[in-house]
Amino acid sequence: MARLADACSLALACSLAAGIAVAQGIPGLQKSLLPADQAFRLSARALDAHTLEARFDIADGYYLYRDKMRFRTDPISAHDPALPAGERKHDAFFGDVATYRREVVVRIPLAQAAPGTTLTLHADSQGCADVGVCYPPNPQQLTVAIPASKYPGPFVEAAGSKWFK
Amino acid sequence: MSEDALDASRAEAPPRRSRRAWLAGGIALAALALGAGTAWYHSRPTATTDGAAILGLVLPDADGRQQAMAQWRGKVLVVNFWATWCAPCREEMPEFVAVQARDGPKGVQFVGIAVDDPDKVRTFAQEVKLNYPALIGGYGAIELSKTLGNELAALPFTIVVDRQGRVAHTQLGPLKRATLDGLLARLLPQA
Repeated sequence: MARLADACSLALACSLAAGIAVAQGIPGLQKSLLPADQAFRLSARALDAHTLEARFDIADGYYLYRDKMRFRTDPISAHDPALPAGERKHDAFFGDVATYRREVVVRIPLAQAAPGTTLTLHADSQGCADVGVCYPPNPQQLTVAIPASKYPGPFVEAAGSKWFK
Repeated sequence: MSEDALDASRAEAPPRRSRRAWLAGGIALAALALGAGTAWYHSRPTATTDGAAILGLVLPDADGRQQAMAQWRGKVLVVNFWATWCAPCREEMPEFVAVQARDGPKGVQFVGIAVDDPDKVRTFAQEVKLNYPALIGGYGAIELSKTLGNELAALPFTIVVDRQGRVAHTQLGPLKRATLDGLLARLLPQA
């Protein structure tokens, strides 16, 4: 009987899911896609007094372009970080391009140590979803406190991006 | 539990199982009907939607000449928001070129609005032998597309306006050839 009940609830769940999928129709993509700031979640922390660590957590089915990724800081500037190599993706127009999936972690060396201060990290990124849409270049900002101690500071997350409320 | 007991419970089960099955089937049908109803609600012709916001646009083309969308009033207008940095946009544009060539004489007009700068647009237009206007919207075109229903601000985003100036279709993501052909068959005057 338990198996029968399972089958019933499964049938119900399946038919409900099918019904909902049918219901979404063309606006479905609009509903099933994530806004860029949820598809690509930026956070950062101070690793020590002269290094920031920025990371993007990338939702499954989405990717970021390596050559669209830029970081800068103020009031203390940063050197260009060494970006991870990423995965190669062939693009009919741009040739082979490097992309990031799942996560990308970048160490950003500051031009000088800044213990006990607060920096603004500016991060530019641009990415797409595998279903066939791309999001515009996304400039984001984060405020990162540099600890006075030698221990890493806490991660801070970026607020919503410029294009989305 | 012995084999006999199992058999006995099986022998007893059918009436209950069929009642359960009927119940499950009924609920499934109701759910599907609900889904289908909602599907109809979502995909119902949006012919009453006013296309005035689109037909009122004036944007520069890649050569800097101002182009009013109103010049194409009375045609089936396919307005495509795109960018050279958007791979899926570039991939679908040769299809648009083919359909413009085939159906342009029947009253179809494609218009691209590029979220991009003129140099890149010109280069790409030459590459795909673009046979319809590529207007330059810059990043402001993202905000524009949001006011036209592109809530996620993603590309490509395409709006089809019928000959009466009403929005007939809105598409986020690639516009499949079959969908496009179906729309045009419905919206163009029958020969």
